[in-house]
Parts: sequence; structure tokens; C-alpha cells
Amino acid sequence: MNDLMNLPWLTIIVMAPLVAAGLMLFVPGASKGPIRVLAVGASTVSLVGSLFVAWNYDKAAAGVQFREGFDLVPSLGIRYDLGVDGWGVSLLLLTSLIIFAGCFATWNLRDRDKEFYILLLALVAGVFGVFVSLDLFVFFLFYEIAVVPMYLLIGVWGSTKKVADAGPFRFLFNLLDVGGKEYAAMKLTLMLLLGSAFIMAAMLAMYVENGATTFSILELEQVEFSSSMQWWAFPALWMGFGTLAGVFPFHTWSPDGHASAPTAVSMLHAGVLMKLGAFGVMRIGMVMLPEGALWWAEIVAFVAVINIVYGALSAMGQTDLKYIIAYSSVSHMGIVMLGAATLTPEGWNGAIFQMFAHGLMTALFFALVGLIYDRAHSRQVFEMGGFAKKMPAVAVFFTLAGLSSLGMPGLAGFVAELQVFIGAWDSLFVAGSFWAVAGIFGAWVTAVYVLRGTRAIFWGKGPDMKKYPDLRDAEGVEWVALILLGGCLILFGSMPDLILSFIDISTTEYLQPLANSLADSAGDR
Amino acid sequence: MLAPLMIPLLVLGLTLLVFLADMAVSGDDRRGVGALTTMGLVGVLLASWYTPEGAAFDGGYVQDAFTLYVQRVILIAGIIGSLGSIDHADRVFPKRQGEYFLMMLFSLIGMLILPGAREIVTLVVAFELMGIPLYVMAAMHKRDKAGIEGAWKLYLTGAVSSAVILYGFSFIVGSTSTTMVAELVRAQPAPLTILGLTLVIGGMGFKLGAVPFHMWVPDTYQGAPTPFVAFLSVAPKVAGLAALSRLLLEGFGHFRVTWWPPLLVICVATMLLGNLFAIPQKNIKRLLGYSGIAHMGLMLLAFGIGTIDGLAALLFYMAAYTFMNMGAFLVTEVVGSGGSDDLSAWHGLNGRAPALAFAMLLFLLSLGGIPFAAGFWAKVFLFMAAWKAGMPGLVILGAMLSVVGLFYYLTIGRAIYIAKAQDETPLTPGRATAWAIGLCVAGVVLLGLFPNGVVEASQLAAVALLP
Repeated sequence: MNDLMNLPWLTIIVMAPLVAAGLMLFVPGASKGPIRVLAVGASTVSLVGSLFVAWNYDKAAAGVQFREGFDLVPSLGIRYDLGVDGWGVSLLLLTSLIIFAGCFATWNLRDRDKEFYILLLALVAGVFGVFVSLDLFVFFLFYEIAVVPMYLLIGVWGSTKKVADAGPFRFLFNLLDVGGKEYAAMKLTLMLLLGSAFIMAAMLAMYVENGATTFSILELEQVEFSSSMQWWAFPALWMGFGTLAGVFPFHTWSPDGHASAPTAVSMLHAGVLMKLGAFGVMRIGMVMLPEGALWWAEIVAFVAVINIVYGALSAMGQTDLKYIIAYSSVSHMGIVMLGAATLTPEGWNGAIFQMFAHGLMTALFFALVGLIYDRAHSRQVFEMGGFAKKMPAVAVFFTLAGLSSLGMPGLAGFVAELQVFIGAWDSLFVAGSFWAVAGIFGAWVTAVYVLRGTRAIFWGKGPDMKKYPDLRDAEGVEWVALILLGGCLILFGSMPDLILSFIDISTTEYLQPLANSLADSAGDR
Repeated sequence: MLAPLMIPLLVLGLTLLVFLADMAVSGDDRRGVGALTTMGLVGVLLASWYTPEGAAFDGGYVQDAFTLYVQRVILIAGIIGSLGSIDHADRVFPKRQGEYFLMMLFSLIGMLILPGAREIVTLVVAFELMGIPLYVMAAMHKRDKAGIEGAWKLYLTGAVSSAVILYGFSFIVGSTSTTMVAELVRAQPAPLTILGLTLVIGGMGFKLGAVPFHMWVPDTYQGAPTPFVAFLSVAPKVAGLAALSRLLLEGFGHFRVTWWPPLLVICVATMLLGNLFAIPQKNIKRLLGYSGIAHMGLMLLAFGIGTIDGLAALLFYMAAYTFMNMGAFLVTEVVGSGGSDDLSAWHGLNGRAPALAFAMLLFLLSLGGIPFAAGFWAKVFLFMAAWKAGMPGLVILGAMLSVVGLFYYLTIGRAIYIAKAQDETPLTPGRATAWAIGLCVAGVVLLGLFPNGVVEASQLAAVALLP
């Protein structure tokens, strides 16, 4: 057992996808089998690694465990430094579950699948890396790696949906090719990289203010940065990471990107990548710059409430299935950001748990949407109907994901949303109860569009079943993704403590620096 | 006494050897000339590890860590440039290959002296030795209208800017009554000195292709032989920036308040205009020309920081830029050998030559500053140094413009990977060109994965200049 503990598990988890991607370069493109074996093999290694880390993480000892690393550029204080805390454990599990399911969900891809899997695995390695980096610079490196492959993944394998040639802006829409996959890919890449310019500015500010000797997150955490720097660096981080998290008004890349992306990419992107943004705001922004976080918390929360309500209302207005799910992601990421902004233990636990729950749920959604589109060759929700007769299992899982999305007790989404709303209500901010009420209103709108969409697709009478001759249920390996993700939704909904116990460890620890500032401000009020 | 001058002298010896070899060969098969040049330069690069440090000509030339670092970058650019030219020269002007490689070597001698020149006359002579052969090389396509136009533009702007620089130096020497950089440190800010400095900066702006003196860049790049452009876009700029470092940082470091404001305006204008004008370009060589202008803006920023960190960042940037920019131009050479440098010629390159397409993607990502490619570290070190020196505004501007840069680099990426090819015939680069591209790939990847060795070397070099 001890020998096993001494293996560099985090490096194994991060590098397994990269190694598989490297090996794939030497596999001829025509051989479909070996490519899938490599992809599934790598994601299995990462999944087993994550489970091992979760199993052996010492909850009593808390803090950062599984430390490993070496100096990368010693003269500048850059170090490859890995380690996990409670948040890291839960998000590692989420990522490995989703990539494992994602490999199966794109099993039937036909076009240039070798390149597809190489890019997908590179992206996953970046995501894993962000969750376990303890060096700000390496964190940023992995963050960029996670963002860049998206351009090709969407640009090459995405799908295009023509926007109606109408409205006052149609000239502009035609000019930019709005709705096209290349437009979506370019918009996503440029917006996210502009966001990372802000992140880099804040990162350099922290590095330089501490004497430009180290990028270590653990060391920089101990530093009390000047108020003036925190005052501008926190919003820079919030906007930078928030772009990836889909924070209003920087969310506009997300519906286009998700709608255009191929199934596995949407799963991974909505399921995990957006969480990178929220994780960055919390882990780097709020934990390392507590004073700035406190100063801006009310704005962050207010924008998060806009996200929740606006995202839900936009989802209600869509007729394209992928856009509905994409806008619902914007709405649900608002719940994460609201939880973070409450600066309470419940809110933070809820925020991380919502990342976990929404990741599973939205990945399941996109896997199902991929299946439906594959069979029906259409994404127009209100032209469908009665699909449950031909694809009962898909209908059941879709309903399951929908119920989790609207916060049905017993499913993972409920645990998260309840905690966030309690956190908002309990928070020291005057507007806290208003946020909770607005958030609950958003959850209600979610119920409206999810139930309406589910009914329109699966239940009731179909308009003309002859239009959809290929309808059939999930087959073969497609079951893996559905059962795994659906099962997890129920498992973690009924036994949330499996994950919450990890999350709570880090939340308690990271709220400490905020405690003093919070106490001061409580005294003021 | 001449021992510190070993590297330029070795290249001079190589030049004579190549000259004799070219005379000895009869007929059209002159590929060997290029091969000899390349191998000779590799030999000089290896010999650079045995160069003694020290000064020659009473301190008019100094061989220190800074000189050596810049010389190595220039030698590597020379190796890649000559190796990448072999196939092109053999195909397009087989009879005049000797001239081409001889000119390249003559130019290299000038470049190799520049970083060590600590005396104004030496500096001017080295500058001209570098510049004049380049005019000849630019005109190698002598029956092509665009080629002649580009060569004319290079020649005229080059000659005029040389005159301006000389005129400026005359004021500096006149008012400080010394030609030694070491004695300029004691110069007082007299009006004539400042006028001279302004003229020198303006003239250097022409040479480096900084806005508003950049007009010749896209035209020359478009018309000249592509492998030569690869060389032109890197080596003279590296040498010019090194000479500027000697003059402004070492000699006139105490005048920074005087020379930095105008240079700052030039630097910001160069970054802005280079990036924005690159966007609508449809000709790859013009696009890379404007992108080179944008990178020059960043390098001027690194230069203007004026601290050891800033200079080290500039030196690292030079090394990274050598590999990624030359690589991009060499791939352009292969794709353009079909006759068109238009973006449409790149459509579907991935299907025609997957390895070449991947190499180009790597160069583009590196130019755009994406992690684990050399260009990323170059930008990061630059931004870190600038931030430390208290220029956050410029860092944010630079970072945002990098995103703009990524946009036009990705339009090439889009053409390669997403657009459909018009003709599907496989494309294979010549053997020498393939090796040159391979060298660039190796450089970009190695610098991207293990930047530490070069970082330390660049810091040593920077300390040598700015103690």
C-alpha cells in the first residue's frame, strides 16, 4: 500500500491523457479500434487515479496532500508543483467521470477521429492540471492548454446552424456568419484569451507585489496584499475567469460555442471547462485576495442573479435544443457564482457542489442531445413529439437530468441549490434575502422550460412520426455514458456527503482569511 | 590581440572558402555551395564555445557574454537561413547560388560584429557591412517586377536611414567629442546630443521596421525570395537591437528620460498598427510582415524597459522569435513554391502535407503566444519584466493585442485545417528545407518545454551589458 501511495498520482492523472494523445500520433488514422482503446484507456487511468486519490485523501489531516513537483524556472520562482485539497478531489472526480463518459459518447464519430481524440485528451490534461496546480504560473499554463484546443474542436467537428435572415442586424449577422461553427470557434477562443489577459495582469501584480520571488499559491496565500491592488486585481480575475464561467455579460460565447460543438466537446466544455472559470474566481480570486472579494462581493452576487434569471428566461425563448441546454448552463453557472459571492460556508459548499452536480447533469444532457440529434437529424424542439415510444431510455434519462436541473429533492442539483440559497439568505449582505428570492425565481423558470421541453420532445403525440424514420433507443456503448452520469446524479443526490465531506474541508480552511474582514464588516453594520 | 574577434574572423575565413569553392565549381550543379555555407556556420557555432572573452581595438570591440549570446542567435539564424535557402536557390537561380550565399556570409560578418561594437565608427561600418549585401539578396529575383520593387524599397529606405543615422552620429560625436561608448556614459544632455540621438533612433526605426518607418516591410517581404525573407525578418533585427542596446542602454542609459518617451510612442504605434494591419491581409508574406512589425513593437518594449530583466526578456525573445518566425516563413516557402503566396493556396494543407501543416500550426501558436511553445515564454518574460518596472498599462495593451494577433494567426490555422483544398496533390518540401523546418520545430518545442537554460544564459548576457 505504501508503495502505491508513493507513486506520483497527480502527475499520472494529468499526464495519462497527454501520453495517450502522444501515442495516437503514431497510430494510423484509419484504425478506429486502437484509437478508442487508447482514449478509453487513458481516461480509465485518470478515473482510477482520481478514485485512488479520493479514497486515500486524509480528511482528518485536511490541507493540501499528494504534493509533488520540481523547479521549472528557478530564477523566476516558477515550479511545477502539484497537490490536491478537498475542492481539488471533488473536481478531479468530476472531470474524470465526464471524460470517461465522453469517450463513449463520441464512439461513433467518423470524420478524422484520430485528431479529434488527440485534441480532446490534450484539453482534458489541461483541465486536470488546473485543479491540482499549486503554482500560479503552472495554473495559468494548464488553463491556456484547456482553452486553446477548443478552437479546432469546434471549428473542424462542430455543426453550423443558419440564423434566420431577418431582423435589424441581419446584415451584420451575415457578415460575421453568426451561427456558423467557425464564427463560434473564433468568438470563443478570442473572448477566452482576452479574459486570460486580465488574469495574467492580476497574476503578475500578485507576483511583483510579493517581491517577484515565487508563484507558489500556498505562499502567496499567506501574503496580505495592499488594499489598492486587491481592489482592482479581484475584478480583473473575476472578469478574466468569469468569461470562462459564463458570467453576464461575458457569457455570449457560451451558447454559440456549446451549440456548435460536437457532443463530447459540449459535454466537457459545459460540464467541466466552465467550472474552471468559477474555480479560478474562488480559489485564486476570493481566497488569495479576500479584501478585494469582500469589496466586490455584492456586485458579483448581483451579476450572478442576473445570470440566473436572464439565463433561464433566454433558455425559455429558444427553440433549438442545444441552445436551450446552453442557456441553462449560463443560468446554472449563475448559481455557482452566487454561492461564491455569499462568502458563507453554506454558499461556498453549495457553489462547489453545484459545479459538481451541474457538471454531471449538463454532460448527461449534451450526451442525450447528441443521441437525439443523431437519430432525428433535427434540434428543433417544438417540431418533435412522442419520441418516448421509440426511445424510452433516452426519455427517462432526459427527464432525470431535467429534474436535477430544476432542483428536485433526491437529485444532486437540489443539494447544491438549497445550500446556495441558504447561504445567500444567511449572508451578511443586506441584499442577501433578495438574492435568494431571485435565485429561487430563476429555479422556477428553469422548471418551466425544462418540463415544457421534455414534454414537447418525448411525451404527447408526435406531429408526424414519418419525419423521423431513424428513431431508436441508445445502443451498445452509448449506454455507458447515460448510466454512469445518470447513476451519479442519483447517487450524489441521495448521499451528498460522499462529496460534501471533501468540499467542506477546504471551504472551512479557505474562509479563514475572510473571517477577519467579515467580522469587521459585520461590526460596521 | 584579435582573439576576441574569433567568431567574425572565422566567418570571414568561411566566406573566402565558399568564394573559392564557388569559383572551382563549373556548371549548374552548385548545391554544394549552400551545403558548405551551412556546415561552416555550424562549425563556427560550435567554435563559439571556445571563444575567449576580452576587448580588441582599445575597447572598440568587446567579446563578453552579451556579445556571445547575440552572436549565437545570429549564427543559428544564419544556419537555418542558409539551409532553408538551398532548395530555393537551386530551383530559382541555380547559376547565381554562389553570389547569394556569399552575400549572406558577408552580411553575417557585419551582424556578428554589431553586438560587440562599442565604438561608433565600428558600429557604423558593421551596420553597412550587414546592410549592403541584404540589398543584393533582396533583388535575386531580378526578372520579377514585385521582386525588383521590393528590393528598391529596401535599398532606398536602407540608404536614406543609414544617412540619417550617420548624420545623427555626427552630432553626437561633435558634442561629446568621443566615439567610444564607454565614454558616452559621462556625456551631458546637450541639445546637439539629443538631436543626434533623435536622428539615430529615427534611422534605426527604419532598419527595424518600426512604425512610422515600416512601409518597406510588407512590400519587400512580398517580393523577395522567401528563404531570404526568413533571414531578413530575424537576423538583421536581432543585430540591430543588439547595437541599439549597446548604444542606448550601455552608452546613453542615463539619458533614458530623453530617449524613452519618443521610443515609447514608436513602440505603442508599432504594436497597434502591426497587429491591426495584419488582419485584412490575404497574402501570407504580407501578413507575416505585419505580424513581424507587431513583434518588433513588443521587442522595442522589452528594450525600453531598461532593466536587467527587460534586457534578458529581449534576448530570450530574440531566440524564440528566430525559430518561430523563420519556421513560419520556410513553410510559406514550401507552400508558395506552387506559385501563389495567397491565403487560398493554404486551404486544406493538412490533407496535402500533414507534417508541414502541424509544424506551421506550432509556429503560429508560438507567434500567438500559446503555452509550451517558445513564444509564450518570450511574451511572459517580457510582461513580467515590464510589470516589475512599473508599466502595467503597456502589459495590458500588449496582452490584449496578443489576442488580436492570435486572430490572424488562426485565420491561417483555419485555412490549413478547416477549409477545403482546391487541389489535393501531396506537397513535399525539399530535403534541405525540411531539415531547416525541423530545426525550427525543435527550437520552438525545446524552448517551450525547457526554457530554463536559455533564460539563464540571457540573464548572464544582460548582466554583462547592464552591470
